[in-house]
Amino acid sequence: MKPRGADDSSKDECGGSGLTRREFLQAAGGVVVLFSIARPLEAGGGGSAPPTAVGDINAWLRIGQDGRITVFAPTPEVGQGLRTELAQLAAEELSAPLSSVDVILGDTDRVPADAGVSASSALSTIGAKVRQAAAEAREMVASMAAERWGVPRAGVVIEDGRAVLASDPETFVGLGELAGGRRLVRRLERPAPLKPAAEHTLVGRPAPAIDGPAYVRGKARFAGDVRLPDLTYAKVLRAPCLGAKLVRAETGVAAAQPGVIAVVQEDDFVGVVAVRPDLAERALRSIQATWEEGEHASIGSLYQDLRQSAELEQEIAVRGDVETALAGARQGYSASYRTPFAAHAPIEPHAAVASPQGERIVVYVGTERPFGHRTAVAEALGMPPEKVRVIVPAVGGAFGGKDGPDVAVDAARLARAVGRPVLLSQSRVEEMSWNYFRPAAVIDVRCGVTEKGEIAAWDADVFNCGSRGAEPPYAFPNQRVRVYRCNSPLPQGPWRGLGGSANAFAREVHLDYVASELGEDPVAVRLRHLRGDAGMERVVRAAAERYGWHDRRPPTGLGAGFACAADDGSCAAVVADVEVERASGQVRVRRVLVVQDGGLVVNPDNLRSQIEGAVVMGLGLALREAVRYEQGRILTGSFASYPVPTFREAPSVEIVVLPDPASPPRGGATATLCAIAPAVANALFDAVGKRLRELPLASVRLRAGT
Amino acid sequence: MAETARPIVIRVNGTERSLGVERSRSLLSVLRTELGLTGTKYGCGSGECGACTVLLQGQPVRACTTPVSHAEGRSVTTIEGLVREGQLHPVQQAFLEVQAFHCGYCTPGMIMEAVALLRKNPNPTELTIREEMAGHLCRCGTYGRVIRAIQSAAAKMRK
Repeated sequence: MKPRGADDSSKDECGGSGLTRREFLQAAGGVVVLFSIARPLEAGGGGSAPPTAVGDINAWLRIGQDGRITVFAPTPEVGQGLRTELAQLAAEELSAPLSSVDVILGDTDRVPADAGVSASSALSTIGAKVRQAAAEAREMVASMAAERWGVPRAGVVIEDGRAVLASDPETFVGLGELAGGRRLVRRLERPAPLKPAAEHTLVGRPAPAIDGPAYVRGKARFAGDVRLPDLTYAKVLRAPCLGAKLVRAETGVAAAQPGVIAVVQEDDFVGVVAVRPDLAERALRSIQATWEEGEHASIGSLYQDLRQSAELEQEIAVRGDVETALAGARQGYSASYRTPFAAHAPIEPHAAVASPQGERIVVYVGTERPFGHRTAVAEALGMPPEKVRVIVPAVGGAFGGKDGPDVAVDAARLARAVGRPVLLSQSRVEEMSWNYFRPAAVIDVRCGVTEKGEIAAWDADVFNCGSRGAEPPYAFPNQRVRVYRCNSPLPQGPWRGLGGSANAFAREVHLDYVASELGEDPVAVRLRHLRGDAGMERVVRAAAERYGWHDRRPPTGLGAGFACAADDGSCAAVVADVEVERASGQVRVRRVLVVQDGGLVVNPDNLRSQIEGAVVMGLGLALREAVRYEQGRILTGSFASYPVPTFREAPSVEIVVLPDPASPPRGGATATLCAIAPAVANALFDAVGKRLRELPLASVRLRAGT
Repeated sequence: MAETARPIVIRVNGTERSLGVERSRSLLSVLRTELGLTGTKYGCGSGECGACTVLLQGQPVRACTTPVSHAEGRSVTTIEGLVREGQLHPVQQAFLEVQAFHCGYCTPGMIMEAVALLRKNPNPTELTIREEMAGHLCRCGTYGRVIRAIQSAAAKMRK
């Protein structure tokens, strides 16, 4: 049997005929592992274990009578390779073939609750639990086999999906047979021993993506691909600008159009349900709506708007006395850095199918937060959460942008209104306009340098983008980071690395600036101040060495820039080589070197692939991407107006991963993502001597004389 | 719901289909909604991302901006039609071997374009691949791997 992938991971729920998780777990014998402890395991992170009530819903792993291993985990696969990596971790601890593992993700009836784990950090949090559950299951079946054969536990070897009698390898039993048809439940009290990394045969090696065959055959089912009997199609009415209030909507003409099933109006919400998507769109266009427009934000005053509305939220990373150190410094260096709103721009726009089933409702939706969606749908519909089932099928990119439940909620209320399954999918312009964005940021940095050229004081004011990545990795003796909350003119929310990219941009460009003012090498300045952060020092040294930083002699028009950042427990150092065409100011990033540390690397090829992707995305943010808006209207509602990177811009990428098999697996490549823009900005300074402090680093500003 | 008196006949993945649909509807909408061929994806609706690419008489077209009437009497190949006798097309095989995807959403459109590219030019340079594929967006950033996959498929198909 092939492992379950994106094409069929929820087929048995289609039309509501399938087993619920509880039924599934109770139906058959086998070994079930639950977590019942209140404290997190290993890198379990922030109290994510369920507090008290423990039922089958908390099961993370099951070995069926047929020997198949099923992993249940909350966080969906969004392209980060989670499904395959969890299968690797489980198979490894159970010494079972990778092909014997099924991974069920993101189905609120079948998986444990997520406690808000983000998709990018899922491997470190969720991965640790799956590993632990698998280790526990291994010890359970080993003990049962030992009992059966009357030998101590040490007399049993678990290998190739079987328990084998060590003294007589001809005596063995399949893992699924040991429960003998009984249903054995183990609640994890104490962590079972994990297999030492030196004995790993699956973890630490590439494995083919479980979802790969479905992707290349066009069989992967995304939310908009869900087809149910009697499916209808919906569109919702959009305001002319952000913040507008609906005064009146004339929907009679729309309701009378052919193929229209219903026009649903609830307060500001108006949705059309029709038998075909084009008919829903046509009917929507015939609605005459009157809106009261609110305040009109425009991008021209963005950074001013942020500063003027700022309220101090917290002071972090405080060390020494920064004011006194700044006053006593031989030389001070101050500058301000700006980063715009960014769109997630996944190629798959938000979509959801909601299907009323008796007193329940099932919602198929592409999101990173199935349980958050369940809560939101339940609240919107006034239903208890257990009456709502959220199933996450394949997700066509998310990047933090599919946390918001609007599409799921709208689909659900329309489905309830018409009593039929409803597919609601956003157009590209809706995707780019009616979503939240990566927060824009202003960051002011002041620093003071001593007679000896030491940075003795570092003072940063961070507006609007939050504290993520704001604490410098450097050992400045006096430092302070003040984080300000602002009134954002646009809705904002999670985005890969969130404020980490803005904070890294400000810090790493400023450090480069100080180094150049001091006439020093920027890598040497970093290393001198990195005392105490061994992880960051390791990647910085490795990157400088691999690149040959100290011997570099870039020709005219070419430049190299260095930056480092930490996120999700990983450190990354990046060197970017850029070329600037003098006449046009055209910037081309030719090559990027990344050194990232990785903890226990579960799937090295996938990690490399994630890093490659982060480089490309980081270049978009560095060079061209910015959400523009005037009078409350988003002007970047298309790929033409919001230029994400293309085949033409993808640079040559060299990646060095420094693994640390003794530490737990970590998240993806957001550390790399955060380091790209500052590396490119620093490389542009190296190439043309112009210090750019605002993203995106649009080429026009590099032309001679500007 | 019958949309027109005169059906449009299209050969889709080798099978003749008679479709009672409005002539102005997009080929993408008809493939996905009427024929259930959901492997062809909507990404932008304006031909900017390439996710909806199919072959019309062997030529890559953006199904989102192609009225279904343009396909009348012609043959359309979608991602579902690439597999022959259970065998993946060499381009599909290469994408799988190189793991040239993250989320997989842009993959069908990329594969269709690459199939057309290699028919036209069995030995494209890297620059040619970049130029020919430039209309396809991958927000996950797998461009480098897609280039490798196309080169690998090209090498195998030349043998």
